[in-house]
This record gives sequence, C-alpha cells and structure tokens, in this order.
Amino acid sequence: MRDPIDRTARGAALAAALLAALAVCPISGQVPAEQKARIQTIVIDPGHGGMETGAKGKFGNLEKDITLAISLKLKALVERNMGFEVVLTRDKDVDVSIENRSAIANNRKAGLFISIHANGAVQKKVAGSETFFLSLNATDEETRRLAYLENNSSALQSRIDPSSDDDLMMILWDMAQTAYIKQSSQLAELVQEELDALLGTRNRGIKQAPFKILAGVACPAILVEAAFISNPEEEQKLAAEYFQTKVADAICRGLARYLRMPE
Amino acid sequence: MAKKKKAHEPKPALVLGVLSVVLVVLAIIFFTGGGREKVERFIDANVPKIPAVSEEPAATKTVTLFFLDDDDDFLHRETRQVAAGPTAAEEAERALAELIEGSEKGLLSPLPPQTKVRQVFIGKDGVATVDFSRDVAEKFAYGSTMELAAVYAVVNTLAFNFKAVKKVVILIEGAEKDTLGGHVDLTRAFLPDYSLVAR
Repeated sequence: MRDPIDRTARGAALAAALLAALAVCPISGQVPAEQKARIQTIVIDPGHGGMETGAKGKFGNLEKDITLAISLKLKALVERNMGFEVVLTRDKDVDVSIENRSAIANNRKAGLFISIHANGAVQKKVAGSETFFLSLNATDEETRRLAYLENNSSALQSRIDPSSDDDLMMILWDMAQTAYIKQSSQLAELVQEELDALLGTRNRGIKQAPFKILAGVACPAILVEAAFISNPEEEQKLAAEYFQTKVADAICRGLARYLRMPE
Repeated sequence: MAKKKKAHEPKPALVLGVLSVVLVVLAIIFFTGGGREKVERFIDANVPKIPAVSEEPAATKTVTLFFLDDDDDFLHRETRQVAAGPTAAEEAERALAELIEGSEKGLLSPLPPQTKVRQVFIGKDGVATVDFSRDVAEKFAYGSTMELAAVYAVVNTLAFNFKAVKKVVILIEGAEKDTLGGHVDLTRAFLPDYSLVAR
C-alpha cells in the first residue's frame, strides 16, 4: 500500500522532472493538432479475457467474449476506412493484466486507446450505453498536477526517456493519462453521440470514473460500455452480430469525427 | 524460676490468642459487613454516572448506509443502529457488516453477501483502510456500473458516518489489489462521491 507521504514525494519528483524537461524542450501552442496528425497507431482493448470473464448474462453470455467480438470488428473497420495501424491488447481468449494492456499501448506509441466493455448492474432493469474517461480522485496534489499537465499537454512520451530505468519512469507512467484528460473527454463525447445515434439504446452519457485501465495510458483514452449484459434484452443484442457491428461502426465514426475536429 | 516462667508463659499466649481472635473478627467484619456497606455507598453516592455510560448495553450509533434501488442505479440512503464504541474503527466494521448484510427496506446491497469485513483501520491522516475477505472480488461478476456502486457504497458509508475518515483504501485479504473485477482502480485512496447518491 502506498502511503500519502510516498505519494507527495512522487508528486514532487514528477513536478521536478517535468520542470526539468520543460526547460530543455519548450512547448508550442498548437501541440494537440500536431499530435493528431502524428497518430499512426490506435490500440483497442477488448475488456477482460481468460479466467477473468467480466460480467455475465442470464443466458450465459460472457463480457469477455462480446468485447473481443466487437474489438475485432472495430479493428477491421478502422484499418479499412482510416488507414491506421490497429493493435489489440488481446486477439484471443487469454488473460492480460491491466498493466500489460497499458504497456502495450505505451510501447506501441498509441495515438488513441479504446477499451471495449459490456456493462453489468445488480438490477435487471438498468440498461443503456455510456462512455467513460478517467476521473482522478481529485486530491489537491493530483488536481494541481492535472492543471499543470493540461496546460502543457505535449506528448508525454517524448519527455519520458525510455533509458531512464529508475522509479521516476514508473511514476510518470503511473498517471500518464493526466496529460490527456481534456482530449479523452472530447473523444468520449463524440463516440457517445454516435453510439446514441446508431444503437437505439438508452443514452447514459459520458462519465468519469477511476478506471485502472485508463490511468496508465499515455494518449487520449476512453472506455466504452456498449450495453448491459445484466439486462436480458440487451444481453441478446450484445450477443448478436448485427449489434456488435453497429457498436464497432459507431465507435469508428466517433473516432473519425474526433480526428477531423479542429483544435 | 521455673514457676515464674510457667506463670509468665501462658499470659502472652493468651493475649496473642485473644488478639488473633479479635483480628479475625475484625477482618470478617471488614470484608463482609463493613466492606459491603462501603462499596454500596461508593456506587450510590459518588459514581452513578460512570457505570451508566460505560456499561449501558443499549448504547448505539446511527449510521447511514448506501444501497441500490431496483429502478435506477443511484445509491440510496438507509439509516441503521449499530452498537457504539469503543473505537470508530469498530463502529465502521459494524456499519460495513450491515451494508453487506443488506437492506431492511428491500433495497439491494452492491456487495456479495458472503463478504466478510476482516478489519477497518482509521489512520491519523484520515485514511481508512478496509480489508475485505476474498469473497468481495470472487463472488460477483462485476460490470463497471456494479463495481462503481460497490466501491462507492463502501467509501461513502465510511466517509459519511465517521468524521475522522477523509479517504478510503480497499484491501482484499490484507493485500493491495488492482481492482474488484477489472475496472475501478483500488491502488489509490478514494474520496467519497455523493454524486452517485439519489437526491
């Protein structure tokens, strides 16, 4: 368990490191636009897998199977229509740790990261689609860090020297997403609009949550909850290929709109 | 000499005997009659308030728990009495046990019923550390919405009822785990989030 003193020390170390990095490489005002132009790789993360099934439906459908099916369809769509390289964090039914999923994204220099999930609630009635981006547990320290990083959101990865093997690099990656919250919220909004337009499910909107998978990713990152597997009607939709294709199509359209968006 | 000695010897023995009898009688009086009277007077006159506070079995604390409703996915409040004291941490353990036990009004607990609260520790820095049995992660197949409800039912229950609690850390079987079911990050301390609570 990390204690707060440790965290404060990490925060201080991070701030010091970033200030040092800033002094060496000044940041231009139009970084986000340049960043978009530089996107070559999109990483798609099919939620859960292997022993970790995720949520389960009444008819026996498992979240891990549905997320993989949608992700494979999305990969094909994006590669065909947009010409990006698409990397999946898993392409079969295997366990992949959350750390390894974000490491795949960061090592492949992902320009966008999309985690695909199917939702689950205790109540059968709860239904709809929603898109999440990261919420920080807004402690003072993290809020300050966020404010700083948001105002200086150049590519974090270019400032992290991969040869620095020490703890500092781990600290930087640990909260890598903090630099991209604003872009992530824009991406979430556009994807959610398309989901709402295409799926005919209840629009649960965009939300922020402290999801582990988003925290360590150093690019705009969202988590899509296509529909509720715990709702029997939506479970049957999620298991149907036509619906999976619609979900993939909606996400693809949202991505395209995000990439065309003027800064 | 012999006669004198014989005449003198029985006397101290007698005195000693009488004294010891008196001593025994006094001791009996002291430990029975007098002693009892003193204890009674002590209780009656001087400290009627101390036993009333420390021994009263009915001392309770009202806690607010956060459950799910069948119709929406907000958290709904329900108040409950738990045994009070001696420490806030023990009261917190009882409150969480009630949260797992479930609602008295037909609301739903967001935590698996098999879950045990192994311990709650409240640090001076305002961080409450809750240690659950492995059931909390293994007995439910969480989706995002359910996992958020489970985490914030716990976090809000602690922060809402116990002034000393500012943040909450959740452990499973004494160890830090990434998530309950693949979504919500357990490696950071949580602040309460009342936006998830129904108005």
